[in-house]
Amino acid sequence: MKASDVCAVAFVVLSAVASPAWAQVPGPNNAITDVPGISVGHFTGHSLTGTTVVRAEHGGQGVAGGVSQRGGAPGTRETDLLKPENMVQIVNAITLSGGSAYGLAAASGVMQCLESQGVGFPVPGGVVPIVPTAILFDPGRCGAPFNSRPNFSFGLNACSAARSGPVQEGNVGAGAGAVSGGVKGGLGTASVVLDKGVIVGAIVAVNSVGSTFDANGNLYAAPLELAGEFGNLIPIQSGPPPGMSRPAAVPGGLLRNTTIAVVATNVELTKTQATKIAQMADDGLARAIKPTHTPYDGDTVFALGTGRISMASLGDPAFAEYLIGSAAADALSRAVVHAILSADSTSCEKSYCDLFPNACRNRKKGAQK
Amino acid sequence: MIRDRRASSSACAAAVFTLVSVSASWAQTPGPLNAITDVPGIEVGQYTSTDATSGGGTGTTVVVSRAGAVGGVSQRGGAPGTRETDLLRPENLVEKVNAVVLSGGSAYGLAAADGVMLCLEGQGIGFPVGAGHVVPIVPSAILFDPGRCAPFSSRPDASFGMAACQLARGGPVQQGNVGAGAGARSGGSKGGLGTASTVLTAGSSAGIVVGAIVAVNSSGRTFDTAGNFYAGFLELGNEFPLVSPAGADVVPPSNLLQNTTIAVVATSAKLTKAQATKVAQMADDGLARAIKPSHGVGDGDTIFVMATGTDTRDATNLVSAIGSAAADTLSRAVVHAILAADSIHVGSCNVRSYCEQFPDNCAR
Repeated sequence: MKASDVCAVAFVVLSAVASPAWAQVPGPNNAITDVPGISVGHFTGHSLTGTTVVRAEHGGQGVAGGVSQRGGAPGTRETDLLKPENMVQIVNAITLSGGSAYGLAAASGVMQCLESQGVGFPVPGGVVPIVPTAILFDPGRCGAPFNSRPNFSFGLNACSAARSGPVQEGNVGAGAGAVSGGVKGGLGTASVVLDKGVIVGAIVAVNSVGSTFDANGNLYAAPLELAGEFGNLIPIQSGPPPGMSRPAAVPGGLLRNTTIAVVATNVELTKTQATKIAQMADDGLARAIKPTHTPYDGDTVFALGTGRISMASLGDPAFAEYLIGSAAADALSRAVVHAILSADSTSCEKSYCDLFPNACRNRKKGAQK
Repeated sequence: MIRDRRASSSACAAAVFTLVSVSASWAQTPGPLNAITDVPGIEVGQYTSTDATSGGGTGTTVVVSRAGAVGGVSQRGGAPGTRETDLLRPENLVEKVNAVVLSGGSAYGLAAADGVMLCLEGQGIGFPVGAGHVVPIVPSAILFDPGRCAPFSSRPDASFGMAACQLARGGPVQQGNVGAGAGARSGGSKGGLGTASTVLTAGSSAGIVVGAIVAVNSSGRTFDTAGNFYAGFLELGNEFPLVSPAGADVVPPSNLLQNTTIAVVATSAKLTKAQATKVAQMADDGLARAIKPSHGVGDGDTIFVMATGTDTRDATNLVSAIGSAAADTLSRAVVHAILAADSIHVGSCNVRSYCEQFPDNCAR
């Protein structure tokens, strides 16, 4: 192959990516539940903590899953079984929870919920639900008792509440107690519909050391907005208004954080492909939060493929994987913005929109979903 | 002892040669208890539930280091069920683990770690997170035993972890049908819980203690068709009460896809997380030598390392010696597990122990 041919190939690929070869519009709910086979349930405790469960099914069975675990202080369950070489090929649900490592108990409640419905990996005598899980650090914040944390019942309740349709955002579920770079963090979701019926969705609990906006207050991922979903944010040049200051990213100097997420697509994936999608989706955190994947963030991103569309129907599978992974990263970045815009101030942290009222002044809260 | 076997075949001559060369390289002796609790600061607690009417049992074994031990893991089996293995990667923040939980119950048994966390929190043990609060670091792995004799829903939960943790102490460790090994099976025979220890005696490593504890629940067998343990050649100090090989009486494994062997190796050496990871990898070879096949598709084989660091010498050049001893100690713990296991014969639930299959070979 001549050098000019290489350049021609590179140009074709580049133009296919850069041009709107696959149109992108948000799904009807702009939520991960726009992906057929995905349902979401939250349970929120009384003291700013909670659990979010993402259920996944295809034909009554679980779906292929993968994970990217790049944050430095993770708390996880069942990530080893997601390695492509390992036997179990399905995931029934993902649990995202507050409570630091104590919150891993929520997954036991999710397992009981699923077992009672006969959902799980079949073994002689019954089923074993496959429920990978990640937690974030929120205990003891804002005057809450340190031992107020998600337990078995949180997972059971969140799983029982799971349904398709709109997904509540902000101070809810795993995002209830979240903080992000000194402002209130939260739970956010987004989706995108691509050509050929491909749908990609993301859900995230943003609880990052890093900030989602620059020194002036502009959200890093704002340029990724689709169809006015962020509610006409107004660019700001001058930081917070007089009398307000940009909060320190590290209140009290104690670094305890973690952003956790799930991305999903209706395309049939292998575990290997789901792993690659999770890795690419993880870049969506990098674009929306700065810094990210620090030693104090246990950032973990799961990926699911619900199998409604065969990879073979999309042409070159590597290229389809490329587009799905790109869309997953952007959907995750957008979900981060939704989380920050949907968060409500507490007595301890201001929300982004309360800190930068000018940026949000055209935004009708809740009207964009 | 298996002296006849060793003297009478070329394969055993090779085994003797291997034993001699190992002895020459790293002189070893078992610790006083021949248990993982020979490692200073390591405590073990076990809680066992036995359904007497059905013969089914399951349980939880917890290995505690109250002062915290630098952790590592090797996860090479194909069907793992785990908690908190990601944080053990050397690049991640948390260095020390407070306990490792081994449990029956398949993935449901991961709930036992919830009880261990509450037990340790109640004692103020864990990673400090400000204002005097702690988050106990409790990696965990499970094995598949549900529904073998007892109802499928009979499985360890948080209360098993709490009870096992409250029972944790130094001293002798019960073996056989106990804790995480209660419902275990191995290649068609009764599996179980076993432990062993080694005190290094040679050169710059002299005095370092290595211990292992394992719940053997493998698709593969631990002995050949004549009843000879694969890891028999690693015996230290007449620790295996065997008299002679006993001829073929081998039951084929009934299930190749629902198994898992899980273990903890502890050492008094002062290791970094990266070194502890290397020791875990080397220790995993101890399973390979004791169980054949191992690391199968249906075996979620997982080995944790806890390095307590009470021996403060620089271990940089001792990692191979420690890892080699860890592998051998783990192999020996596997043999102890199989020798200590008891048959179950209750109603329709029947699984024979090694010593029932080979009575002439067991002097116990």
